[in-house]
Amino acid sequence: MDKKRIWEGFRPYVLIAPAMAGIFLFVMYPVGYLIYLSLFKYNLLNKDKSRFVGLDNFTQILGRGDFYKALWNTTIYTAGVVVLTMLLSLLFAVWLNKKGRFNSIVQAGIFTPHVVSIVSISLVWLWLMEPNQGLLNYVLKLVGLPPSDWLQSSKTALMSIIIVSVWQAIGYYTLIIVAALQSISPSIYEAAALDNASKFKVFYKITLPMISPQLFFILIIMTIGSFKVFDTVQVMTGGGPNNATTTLVYYIYGFRTTNIGYASATGVLLMAVIGLLTFVYFRLLAKKVHYQ
Amino acid sequence: MASIEFVKVSKYFDRQPVIQDLDLKIEDGTFTVLVGPSGCGKTTLLRMIAGIDPQTSGTVLIDGKDVTRIAPGKRGVAMVFQNYAIYPTMSVRENIEFGLVNNKVPKAERTRLVETIGETVGLADYLDRKPSTLSGGQRQRVALARAMVKNPSVFLMDEPLSNLDAKLRVQMRIELIELHKKLGTTFVYVTHDQVEAMSMADTIVLMNKGVIQQEAPPEVVYRKPSNLFAAQFIGVPPMNIAPLGEDRSTFGFRPENAVLAAEPGSFHFSAKGEIATREMLGSETIYQVKTGDGRSFMVKCPDDIFHVDQEVYLGVPADKLFFFGADGNRIEERDARYLDFLERLRGQSHG
Repeated sequence: MDKKRIWEGFRPYVLIAPAMAGIFLFVMYPVGYLIYLSLFKYNLLNKDKSRFVGLDNFTQILGRGDFYKALWNTTIYTAGVVVLTMLLSLLFAVWLNKKGRFNSIVQAGIFTPHVVSIVSISLVWLWLMEPNQGLLNYVLKLVGLPPSDWLQSSKTALMSIIIVSVWQAIGYYTLIIVAALQSISPSIYEAAALDNASKFKVFYKITLPMISPQLFFILIIMTIGSFKVFDTVQVMTGGGPNNATTTLVYYIYGFRTTNIGYASATGVLLMAVIGLLTFVYFRLLAKKVHYQ
Repeated sequence: MASIEFVKVSKYFDRQPVIQDLDLKIEDGTFTVLVGPSGCGKTTLLRMIAGIDPQTSGTVLIDGKDVTRIAPGKRGVAMVFQNYAIYPTMSVRENIEFGLVNNKVPKAERTRLVETIGETVGLADYLDRKPSTLSGGQRQRVALARAMVKNPSVFLMDEPLSNLDAKLRVQMRIELIELHKKLGTTFVYVTHDQVEAMSMADTIVLMNKGVIQQEAPPEVVYRKPSNLFAAQFIGVPPMNIAPLGEDRSTFGFRPENAVLAAEPGSFHFSAKGEIATREMLGSETIYQVKTGDGRSFMVKCPDDIFHVDQEVYLGVPADKLFFFGADGNRIEERDARYLDFLERLRGQSHG
């Protein structure tokens, strides 16, 4: 009897143990070790020559211009990608939510980029954006607009990367918003029609609040994802020209062999920034999000 | 206040006709109940009046004016939906106020109206709550308040009581009758529940398969059903119907009009049978009587004196019998065939 009771108490922990082991091994331990590493001047060849330096790495980071440049680039990139993707996905979703003959085809088509590897996408866009032979400039010239240097000028490189990321992300988020829109009961719209509400009012007062949980989710997921951008930068620009597209993760990547402690400290800062942003989002927006 | 008129109205869904060439006039200030089995087109009619699902052809007139091209919000109608269709993201106050805001009613006036209506429907203490914190009955009241506050000339209700529990439903029924009396506006009420129709309506519009079967006050539908469908739809349990001769004509009587006795009596129609089931409902008891030739009749008795398997004699007086022709329409007393049918039935009686 007693044995049974002990087992009853243990059972939940035994059941979640496999999942917890995974989380500990792949999330908690690496995070802890990252923080640990950030306090060292770490020697990759000889661990014994590693030296505890306290917060030295952090003071060094915060005193360097290239870190702020990377942080700034990442912020611009995140703001651009999040705002553009959310606006465009919302627009597409509202359009696709109407029952049309081509809508299922468009929906499938718009989702395809999400299936393709980001490396392939980056390479294809790299060709499209080639200033002399690329298709984009050809089209620009065709319609009489001035061509752009795209990735080859520090003025337009970050924008070009934003375009590629937005293009790749739109389909997925459109799908999420379409699903959210379709879960709204049509009778609510009918009630609004009887209440003499204008189209804009219906969208602003009914549709948006009804899909706010999904929009909030997308906002947070995309902000976190964008802050961690790496692959597009690595394939398309390598952080150039003139560090115009060096983002935080790419910056960290640059120190992967030369200075592990410094790279770890930057990683800790990245984590802190993302944590702070998420916290701010929740403080500012959670009240405006309507959960059923 | 307004009358409503359908002129040669048809409605198709994906080329499937639901209603064809329907004519109907709903008088100003009446409480009209559209009743029928599900899929009979009653909700479709209601939605045409509201304008949220306009007719395919024909004209809908409100107060004599063709409203075909008028948007739902500008028809002067208000609707209570089956699922209430309350805006879940808005507070009760905002829900009630939404229509007024859209109609540009000044703020002071709005506040006054909302508070008054809130008081009327008993929601005064809940105005700043979110609908998700309210019970089913309270949500129903929000929906009602939202409709009332606009002071519409026509009230449309689409099975508004079907999501409430039985007790609350009976209470709301009485409140709706009182509300209609107080407002005096035209009420159009859709239900599949004949009890709701009987208890609330001034006029019942009984529909089946997109066709109006009968349009009359409740007592007329009950006493003089126009056809077999009307006879069997109204009344619990429904009217007993049995064949009468070979020409597919039938006769019927209501369960509450049959008399059960242990000894044979002298009724126009009588039959000997056995009690198959007994449902004791308190004020009355419903028996199912199976006769020797395999027919079964439901009988509603005020007293509970028989038991299952008991042999009984069932009798119906002549003036409580209904006759229906081969086409299903009722044969009225003044019809030449009526006496003939009465005679035929006497010949059939046995026991």
